[in-house]
Amino acid sequence: MKTTNPQHRLLALLSIPAFLFLVIPTAIVVPVALNDSRYITFPPEGISFAAVAGFFADRAWTSALTASLQSAAIAVVIGVLLGATAAIGLHGRKFPGQPAVVGLILAPMIVPTVVLALAFYQFFISIGMVGSIVPIGLAHAVIATPYVYLTTRASLAGLNPALVRSAQSLGAGPLSVLRHVYLPIILPGLISGALFAFSVSIDETVMSLFMQSPGATTLPVKMFTDIQFNLTPKIAVSSALLVSVATIGLLLQVLFVLKRRSSTRMLPLAVSAQT
Amino acid sequence: MTASVISAESIPGTGRAAQGAIELRQVSKHYGDVVAVDELDLTVQPGEFVTLLGPSGSGKTTTMMMVAGFEEHTAGTVLIDGRPVDSLPPRDRNLGVVFQNYALFPHMSALENVEFALRMRKVPRAERRQRAEEALGRVGLGKMGGRKPRQLSGGQQQRVALARALVFNPAALLLDEPMAALDKRLREQMQEEIKTLQKSLGISVLFVTHDQDEAMAMSDRIVVMRDGKIVQSGPPEEVYNHPMTDWVASFLGDTNLIPCTIVERNGEEAVVDLGGLGLAKVRDRGASGESYAVSIRPEHLKFRTRASAGNGCAATLVSSTNLGATVRHRLTAGGHELQLRELSSDRGTRILPDEELWVGWDADKAQLLVLES
Repeated sequence: MKTTNPQHRLLALLSIPAFLFLVIPTAIVVPVALNDSRYITFPPEGISFAAVAGFFADRAWTSALTASLQSAAIAVVIGVLLGATAAIGLHGRKFPGQPAVVGLILAPMIVPTVVLALAFYQFFISIGMVGSIVPIGLAHAVIATPYVYLTTRASLAGLNPALVRSAQSLGAGPLSVLRHVYLPIILPGLISGALFAFSVSIDETVMSLFMQSPGATTLPVKMFTDIQFNLTPKIAVSSALLVSVATIGLLLQVLFVLKRRSSTRMLPLAVSAQT
Repeated sequence: MTASVISAESIPGTGRAAQGAIELRQVSKHYGDVVAVDELDLTVQPGEFVTLLGPSGSGKTTTMMMVAGFEEHTAGTVLIDGRPVDSLPPRDRNLGVVFQNYALFPHMSALENVEFALRMRKVPRAERRQRAEEALGRVGLGKMGGRKPRQLSGGQQQRVALARALVFNPAALLLDEPMAALDKRLREQMQEEIKTLQKSLGISVLFVTHDQDEAMAMSDRIVVMRDGKIVQSGPPEEVYNHPMTDWVASFLGDTNLIPCTIVERNGEEAVVDLGGLGLAKVRDRGASGESYAVSIRPEHLKFRTRASAGNGCAATLVSSTNLGATVRHRLTAGGHELQLRELSSDRGTRILPDEELWVGWDADKAQLLVLES
């Protein structure tokens, strides 16, 4: 990196410490997880994969991981369905009460999670739906939906409404319009929304804690309960696991955006050149 | 008017051959209190090229969108080949539509774009490929099928849009300002190409534009719209040379409007008093209103010698501007400002400002009209 511009150099000088401040606390779990010790210590005393092996050999931890993945799967599927259909359905429409509908969809982002947790806890108890991962997954879907809604809505902003009309004039029914007009345009938004939904669910602790049961303890809940009386490196391993899942998700998204951009870069230029 | 009348026959590919007649009967469109289109009667004959011409907000695009089925009309009936289509969704109206910015599917190649309508109609793969290639060939893009819209120029995109709208043999073609995004030279070229294509296919076209030159160049009939109403309709030359109101006269190009009072009306002809310009014989189409004027296009005013017969008056030259192919002269005559345009090649001896001249015009080129504004 050859930067001759003093402004750029100053920017780098200021950004790098800020960046490190943000990343180091998160990254530190990785060496801790690979520590050759029976307790959580830092700096690590030596490198070993014993804790990682121990994590995957311990049924209590692996079932927590499975529970987390199951709840995330439910949250992603339902969140994508609800968020995307809401975004498409509300796109370009104005009707009385529309802001209220949008507000309702976005409410789970604003309402304190602990309030939602209590509400869901009472609700699922009252309908007798406890003791499985399903209610946790459903609750996660509720807080994941607004993310998918927002990312899908953002990608729909680039939709030329004439595309829908031209598809209709060419004989396309509603499903064909969805497949050939909406889907290609919302795909990036849908993917980043799904990744958001996944990480929201994987990360969620409060609601999962309220609704936990022996068969339905997610990874963050297991970490939270263990950290109080059972401080093993397995906690660091699960943290490292969560961090790597998040990192992979982020990288996938960047990769997708870059690939997409390289294939559509000409488009906005071509359009603006004509108008 | 009921759904049963429309039945399966009007669904593409199942009925008799499309003729391409479009008829609007007393069609209105209201947005709340705003009347966008007001009890419009309009007919496009099979094979006819009809242009809706008007400024923005005149209701021309709304009218077309009601024919296409994208806008629901508030009152009236739309008929295609004699069948009411009011309750048919756009996809069942079998009309080819070309939109202002073409609206090509960005993720599909040119060929896939053209194939789309056939795919929706479940035409077998091999056949639809062949028909799409033919359609692309017809618009001169036979070798461009593999390109994505973004890899095509504006004119090429426009051709793909045309091929896409024609490939399924629609009853008629609806064009919504399709040339608005093209530069002047390309626009003129496309006007000719579209006109040639339309003639060779014998397809009816409903064309929307605010560009009077485009309307003049392409139409069999121009329908001039203003405030949701038709103000005049007829062949281009007739609307241009014989406007009914001063608004139509000005919208269709430059004109000299001279206020007048009617002395005598006599069928197709009238004698009017042009004030300072004296009495003149003019064409009369029977329009009636509160006040009148005579419209003479600048190119119909000629320099004459005083001795020559017909309408004429003394004038003084104010200025001359060379516009390339034509020269525009500004004159004053009898207290009126007049414009005279002649071909540069016809330009005679150079005249100077303040020179006394005589200008004249043919009686059938002066149109009596109603002053609206």
